[in-house]
Amino acid sequence: MTDTFPTIYSITEDEIDLNDLLAKITLTSTGAAAIFTGMVRGITSRGAAHETEYLEYESYVPMAEAKMKQVADEIREKWAVVEGIAIVQRIGKLYPKTPTVLIACTAAHRDTGVFDAARYGIDRLKEIVPVWKKEVGPGGQEWVEGDYIPKPGE
Amino acid sequence: MNHIKLLFFATIRDRVGMKSLELDIPTDLTILQLKEKIGVDYPNLKESMKSVLITINREYAFDEAVIPLNAEIALFPPVSGG
Repeated sequence: MTDTFPTIYSITEDEIDLNDLLAKITLTSTGAAAIFTGMVRGITSRGAAHETEYLEYESYVPMAEAKMKQVADEIREKWAVVEGIAIVQRIGKLYPKTPTVLIACTAAHRDTGVFDAARYGIDRLKEIVPVWKKEVGPGGQEWVEGDYIPKPGE
Repeated sequence: MNHIKLLFFATIRDRVGMKSLELDIPTDLTILQLKEKIGVDYPNLKESMKSVLITINREYAFDEAVIPLNAEIALFPPVSGG
């Protein structure tokens, strides 16, 4: 069954095309899509307030795409109702307001757990997919480091 | 000997000043022993070896793992994508 369900995962330097991705994960049986997208925040007020001029993303691309596939597989294990999955991370130099990441899951209906599935997707991406960003602002530049230590088998 | 390729990303690459490196290591070297060797050969990375994430052939690997022949090993900080 899942063979017929589309799964898209990629690291790209190109603009993220939401409409194109959504079309690719919409089947005739699809009635709902939960979409998360993250963008570069120019002004941060939560925590240590600061301004961001741009973020520079890099990735270990072949491993990142393999781990995105793993995230999609985990979503399907937990939410069998999910139909299409798209996971895309943009890399390179990205300015405020620019979408940097997109996770979308489709299902027949909205009350199937599809929101949770998309939420799980972005959370897992931030744990195990090898992508890093350097933040550049008025005060200089700094690599942003996560805090998740993968466990054996992840 | 085992000929391996090392890849460096983010803070680790900045500190070591290169993206990749090929080197010969004794067969049956573990990840822990490789980290010790890197700390000696590249003193700039000694401190980083305490918290670095390491992969063998694109899967996360841990101290006790024995490095297979011709492995692709990557060293990087905890990820920060999104």
